[in-house]
Amino acid sequence: MRLAKLTLHHFRNVGFAALECRGRQQFLVGANGQGKTNLLEAAGFLTALRSFRNADNKLLVTHTQHTAAMTCVLEHERRGETHVTIKVRHESKELWCDQARVTKLADYLGQFPTVVFSSQDLQLVRGSPAGRRRWLDLTLAAMDAGYLRALQTYSRALAERNALLKAGRAVDAELAAFEQTLAPAAAQLIAGREAGLRTLGALLTAAYAKLCDDAEPASLGYEPNFAEADAESLLVRLEAGRARDLQFRTTLAGPHRDDFHFTVRRTAAKDFASEGQQRSLVLALRLAQAAWFQERSGVRPVLLCDDVLGELDPARRRRFWSAIDPESQVIATGTSLPDAELGAWQVFEVADGAVTEKVNA
Amino acid sequence: MTPAFEKLQKHLKQLPGLGYRSSERIALHLLVEKPAQLPALVTALEEAARAVRRCTRCGNLAETELCAICADERRDRSVVCVVEHVPDLVAIERSGAYRGSYHVLHGKLSPIHGVGPDELNLAALRARMESGEVGELILALSNDVEGEATCHYLTEHLPASAGSAVKVTRIGFGLPSGGGVLYADSVTLKSALEGRRSYS
Repeated sequence: MRLAKLTLHHFRNVGFAALECRGRQQFLVGANGQGKTNLLEAAGFLTALRSFRNADNKLLVTHTQHTAAMTCVLEHERRGETHVTIKVRHESKELWCDQARVTKLADYLGQFPTVVFSSQDLQLVRGSPAGRRRWLDLTLAAMDAGYLRALQTYSRALAERNALLKAGRAVDAELAAFEQTLAPAAAQLIAGREAGLRTLGALLTAAYAKLCDDAEPASLGYEPNFAEADAESLLVRLEAGRARDLQFRTTLAGPHRDDFHFTVRRTAAKDFASEGQQRSLVLALRLAQAAWFQERSGVRPVLLCDDVLGELDPARRRRFWSAIDPESQVIATGTSLPDAELGAWQVFEVADGAVTEKVNA
Repeated sequence: MTPAFEKLQKHLKQLPGLGYRSSERIALHLLVEKPAQLPALVTALEEAARAVRRCTRCGNLAETELCAICADERRDRSVVCVVEHVPDLVAIERSGAYRGSYHVLHGKLSPIHGVGPDELNLAALRARMESGEVGELILALSNDVEGEATCHYLTEHLPASAGSAVKVTRIGFGLPSGGGVLYADSVTLKSALEGRRSYS
């Protein structure tokens, strides 16, 4: 997939911007706080109608305005030229694809893959399990409608069961009614995560080997909260946990408490890996995600690099550059222009929310 | 605007589907544009409030002890179709495909919205099952988490499950008739495939 044109209106600090992208390398240059990341955020919004900065709708709309709009013209491997329009309001989002309104997330998710490389990614290694689960769920759901459906069913049934526990008047019969739906959805999530992490782990190992010369093997390990993976035994587990759940007034165990970890040389990266190794790990994770999207859907994701090139030393930058798919479109940001050895970029200058193409850079 | 007008508008706004603008428009329509319609509307409201109640057997709208469907001798009382709300019953009636009786739950289990078994019209259903007149229970509840949970609850906690001969079925989920496979969403297609049956 290639983003050929991106038009923004009232998106964060960008009043109006139109980027016409030629070729496969775009670079957004400007000082800090000018709006470079906002433009990448908009492009990343295409994939799952979510911001990679985890932001509320309200923050995406320019202050004093009530609707932000973005239109993308895409060259898509399967669909040909496609126009996507997204309107974001404080309480709602509206999506149009080739002049037709799309109302179901399941019909849209994963069609237009993008992968964001951001400095916040380090939190995936160091941060809380919630961030890792969110990343994993979005990655798997984008490529598997069945996984998305199981996730939606699980969240809903879990919320209902927790509401029962919270009300303090929970009866076994009612808990059982929701557990009947919860258990098969949980089984599907566990199976999906296990298979997904196995594939993503293998892709990560390959990507990490390209980023680091010393052949330290890196991998991913799944830490399911429930070791059992079939619906029958999950049902038994939920039933056995009722007394404790009632004391704590929430469902204590289940895939909503799952986690996964990164390993380098078979040790936990969170505790033992150096700063540089952790950075390489998240880059490798994003490369694995891009490869996974392409493998599963046949669509090349657009790579969005938020100030990543500037953070790497020249040797690592070269290796990162050689590890990415040369056919993929790369949109990068930075405070200064990248080295000439990384190819010819189409350069846009970003200043105070305004974007201008820099000719003959 | 006057205080009485604002009071009326406030009450209209509490009705489902009406916002500030539409309630204002209706209030103006009744009081200023077509005041002649007002007495008839007031009478109709009063009459309906007095006369309409729940059928003691199935929970449908009725003006006597039993609703028109329960009172109809030609309807098959051994088959009971369980629905969430009265409009669901009306929709099935309109299809003309069903000649059995109904049971309206007036909701589905949803702890988030504070709906438990006590809020549903279950006692009457239990009484009907205990009377032994029911041979088949058709669950026509919505295809979501709450509908699913309600189905589980019903099958586990009604006398039907206690080894009696009552057959419990659930309506199928699949393609809309006249619709092609192409235009169905992926979730519907999946349940249509799962619910396929032999063709001969």
